[in-house]
Amino acid sequence: MKDIIIKGDRLKKEIIIWLICLAAAEAVNIYSIISYKTNWIELITQLHFVAALSIIFYFAAALIRWLFGLIKPVKK
Amino acid sequence: MEEIKNQSRREFLKKISVISGSAVALSSMPWISSYVNSRAQGKSPSDKVRLGIIGVGDRGRLLLLTIQEFRKEANVEIAAVCDNYQPNYERAVQLAGSGAKAFYDYRQMLEMKDLDAVVIATPLHEHAHIAIDAMNAGLHVFCEKSMARNVEDTKAMYDTHLKYNKILQIGHQRMFDPMYLEAIDRIRKGEIGQVTQMRMFWHRNNNWRRKVPGGNPVLERKINWRLYKEYSAGLMTELASHQIQIGNWIKGALPVSVMGAGSINYWKDGREVYDNVALIYSYADGTQLIYDSVISNKHYGLEEQILGDKGTIELEINKIYSETPPKSPGIQQLILDIEKGIFDTVPIGGATWIPEVGVRDKGEFISDKYKMDEVQLQLEAFVKYVREGKAPEEMTLQGYYATVCALLGEQAIAEGKKIGITV
Repeated sequence: MKDIIIKGDRLKKEIIIWLICLAAAEAVNIYSIISYKTNWIELITQLHFVAALSIIFYFAAALIRWLFGLIKPVKK
Repeated sequence: MEEIKNQSRREFLKKISVISGSAVALSSMPWISSYVNSRAQGKSPSDKVRLGIIGVGDRGRLLLLTIQEFRKEANVEIAAVCDNYQPNYERAVQLAGSGAKAFYDYRQMLEMKDLDAVVIATPLHEHAHIAIDAMNAGLHVFCEKSMARNVEDTKAMYDTHLKYNKILQIGHQRMFDPMYLEAIDRIRKGEIGQVTQMRMFWHRNNNWRRKVPGGNPVLERKINWRLYKEYSAGLMTELASHQIQIGNWIKGALPVSVMGAGSINYWKDGREVYDNVALIYSYADGTQLIYDSVISNKHYGLEEQILGDKGTIELEINKIYSETPPKSPGIQQLILDIEKGIFDTVPIGGATWIPEVGVRDKGEFISDKYKMDEVQLQLEAFVKYVREGKAPEEMTLQGYYATVCALLGEQAIAEGKKIGITV
């Protein structure tokens, strides 16, 4: 089996993408607190939901990036 | 296990000490205050409470074994047993041990000089004359519910209790159940608001028959007494009376009327009592207790649902619910709304019609789980009352009223009309 090497730059890029997804998920949380008039303590108490949502966003972003990766050589 | 029971007992006594001291408890459950405040038993022989058990069938056996569980701590002894059915007699002798005298005829037991009280667990139609004879003989009485087969006998038992000033405790064990005590305390303090309706039911799926040795027809009515009107009112006296007692306890009053229906629509095997009943007991303030019992379906089991304008209590599962539960977190509501928007179908009434689903609230537990047996607690209380020579009248009245209500319910069904309830 071939070894998979993840270079530092790549890892850093993925972490930044995930952090952006996490920020987006927390933004959704803030929006729902305002819309449904619930308690601001949910910024902390619903972190598990936010984390789960960020992972969903991350995989959605990964899918979009992969699709772009397919289209890019064709465009070229 | 013993340590868990002892710890649970300490916690229970602590909890009911707190409950029993409140003004609410003193008015709604004075028997608990008496139980908590009764003097501790001594260990001297003169302080020992000596009991006789009359009727050692299934229920009597349970009571006997329960008493034996706590006999040392409570300084109580089973001094005699009695049953006129040979297999029960032999079993009782074996269980009670060599220290207990055994009788076929309860009247001989009542002639014993050193008995303090009797525990009666015979078929229903025998409760009255045995209890009355026992109180006439100077003994205190614990009698399994319901009190008697008819209203006249029930009144005669109660009048004898008053005349001779003897304790008459009826076996409604929920009156000693820690969870019920806490629930009633919270209801009386207004936690679920005004109680406007109670719904109670007891559903089973069995024919209620006990095996008759060799199919002997002579023994059929003796062993399956619950199926024959001469001896029992069936579902009303054997099951409903427990729950009607709870309804009266919660309202702090008797209902003023009852109407109902019943039939035999499934177990058509020669029985005389109904295999399904449905009744409405109405209280003076307009509250209805809606009651039903069937023995052909057990999906819903048994429950007492107490409906108030601020909340709901379901006693058998130890739950209390708010009419206005706290909202779900915003993000969960958002996800749910998005899901509904994608997956929900348009209701039959059109897009603007929203079905009135119930309040979705998991509720919270009313009481911590205690590893305490309420049957044992009620018998312990009886022993304490016997030692003191007195018991709260309200406790006896609970049993008296529950029996009268159950029997009048049977009458309402039989006559097909609303019956007024007066005691």
